Amino acid sequence: MDFSWTEEQTALRERVRDLLARELPPDWARLSRHGPGSPEQTAFSLNFCPKLAEAGLLVPHWPVEHGGRGAPPWHHFIIGEELWAAGEPRGAQYMNVNFIGQTIMRFGSVPQQRRYLPPMAAGQAIWCQGFSEPSAGSDLAALRTRAERRGQDYVINGSKIWTSYAGLAQTCFLLARTGGAGRQGICIFLVPMDTPGITVRGIPSLIGEGDIHEVFFDDVVVPADALLGEEGQAWPIIGWALSHERVGIARYAFSRRVLDGMVRQLQSQGRFDDPLIRARAGQALAAIEAARLLVYRVIHQRARGLPPTADANVARTAVIAADHQVSDFGMQFLPDSYCGDAFPLHLSHHERAIAAGIAAGAAEVQLNLVAQDFLKLPREARA
Amino acid sequence: MNFELNDDQRALLDAVEQVVQHHLARTPAPARVECLPELDRDLEQGGYFEAMTTEGLGPVAAAAMVIALARLPFCTELGASALLAPRLGLPRVCAVLGEDRHAPARFLAQAACAVAIEADGVFAAALAPGEAREVESLWAYPMGELVAPEALSWRRLDTDPKACLDLRRVALAAEIAGCLSAALASVVQHVSDRRQFGRPLGSLQAVQHRLAHSAVAVEGVRWLALAAAAGSVPAALALGQAQQAVRPVAYDLHQFMGAMGLTLEHPLHRWTYRARRLQSELGAADRQFQLAAGQAWPA
Repeated sequence: MDFSWTEEQTALRERVRDLLARELPPDWARLSRHGPGSPEQTAFSLNFCPKLAEAGLLVPHWPVEHGGRGAPPWHHFIIGEELWAAGEPRGAQYMNVNFIGQTIMRFGSVPQQRRYLPPMAAGQAIWCQGFSEPSAGSDLAALRTRAERRGQDYVINGSKIWTSYAGLAQTCFLLARTGGAGRQGICIFLVPMDTPGITVRGIPSLIGEGDIHEVFFDDVVVPADALLGEEGQAWPIIGWALSHERVGIARYAFSRRVLDGMVRQLQSQGRFDDPLIRARAGQALAAIEAARLLVYRVIHQRARGLPPTADANVARTAVIAADHQVSDFGMQFLPDSYCGDAFPLHLSHHERAIAAGIAAGAAEVQLNLVAQDFLKLPREARA
Repeated sequence: MNFELNDDQRALLDAVEQVVQHHLARTPAPARVECLPELDRDLEQGGYFEAMTTEGLGPVAAAAMVIALARLPFCTELGASALLAPRLGLPRVCAVLGEDRHAPARFLAQAACAVAIEADGVFAAALAPGEAREVESLWAYPMGELVAPEALSWRRLDTDPKACLDLRRVALAAEIAGCLSAALASVVQHVSDRRQFGRPLGSLQAVQHRLAHSAVAVEGVRWLALAAAAGSVPAALALGQAQQAVRPVAYDLHQFMGAMGLTLEHPLHRWTYRARRLQSELGAADRQFQLAAGQAWPA
């Protein structure tokens, strides 16, 4: 066992920090307050991600033939920690490198890979994830959006909701039903968002701009080769993609950054000698460290080429707890500055902590999976 | 980052697992504490407590061994034997005192020596029969006290008290991890077998979610203890997280074991009443968190 970084990994982290110090503008913290899906951050990401790509820091974990460097998943994670903690200058493009790209690489056709992977590797692709529907949130297999085969095409009708980043996305990773009820009838389509018949409506939200949308599909015609994988085979692919999504965002790294910042404030106010404040700071730090290790265990398994397990659900649950502990710390000891606009990153943390257990799958679904797949408890009788 | 044991460590843990399985086959007596001389003999004769000072094994293997052995419902001195005594060159059983040399400590009545880790130094005293006596306690450990601590001949050890305290923290965190994981496994087994309302209790979401939270807590405690043993996470942070986990996890596990878990027939109490003792050692969770905060954010 070894819980330390190699010299190469430490050097990589330094390179990311150097690049951030060079490329982030002085008003970055304020800019990032708009949120990864906002017009401001999206525009920034389309300028910033190509620089990351040029430095070999966007998709180093991808194979060389797809524009990567064949680096181990640890590289992806070190970069992800630094960028998410900095307020995510990749904007919505973090999704490409966390799971959409790998899913296309693993399950997509060669033409799909040729079409979609190079723009991602170049830092020029904005995707959205068309999963949730008004009647299918946690119960994803209840989704109703239909795709009907007509000759060489599919015609898609239905609607998606709470779709992150849909407003400015070029492409949608869309789930739709071609068959009967349940998991078997679901398919994945890669759909250009400028296809006629798609309407996007933003929904004002508590967690930044450009984060939550409704997307309507009215007789949207896509060619049959927009299908990812075979008809009826989507569910295992979705499971694979979700297991990468669940531990994709390094929330614990952002929590640590914000906790460090709050402690600095308390020190400068002469309040950090208070034993209560120290105890709660140490407690939040312990939650962050537990979450970090549990996430790293998942990355370790990924680096060994092992299939995803319920360890990812264990990790995600710990990450949510750490987010909430840091949020509690801010609310208890620095309520005005944690929730005010003097420290934009802190305010973003506060705003997004409320979504930690919602985005990327409800916390309760994670608990179901921990109970059933990790503890092997008997499955609940379904109503 | 590597979350796997090396070949030597794996071989040690495989052998430990055989010891665990051998003694697990025995049904515990309905008593609060049960020590097994055979278990102590197996561990000592097998040289398991030399892992800490053996090339290729070291503190991670010693901590992993404590986690594995703490899963037994039988009581044996693990933490000091595996992590502290080998480093200090002290004999087994070595009882570790708290801040007050008069206060009861685990295994003191059975110990060959007592060690006091204090701010200004680490002191050890050999114990002859009659110099320590058993005391009654709630805990699933044999507890003892020194008859006259000031009458013992204490010698100062040439070692850093802070490093010793950290080893003790790792040992405590590892033992809590082992106790809680065994307790959790026994409750998972129970709620999987026990049927009420025509279905297993463990199929109810109200039960599943709380056990899932316990599992996440125990996994975090276990990995923090191992990372602290490796020196990659502050020991105080690992112990704080472990001590903090005891109360919610132990209460929930007893809750789901129901009245069966209130009897001495079921071994659940053996693990929870060990963990609950460890929960308050070295000043309990908040003291660890305060210390860890001071280390993480120096003035």
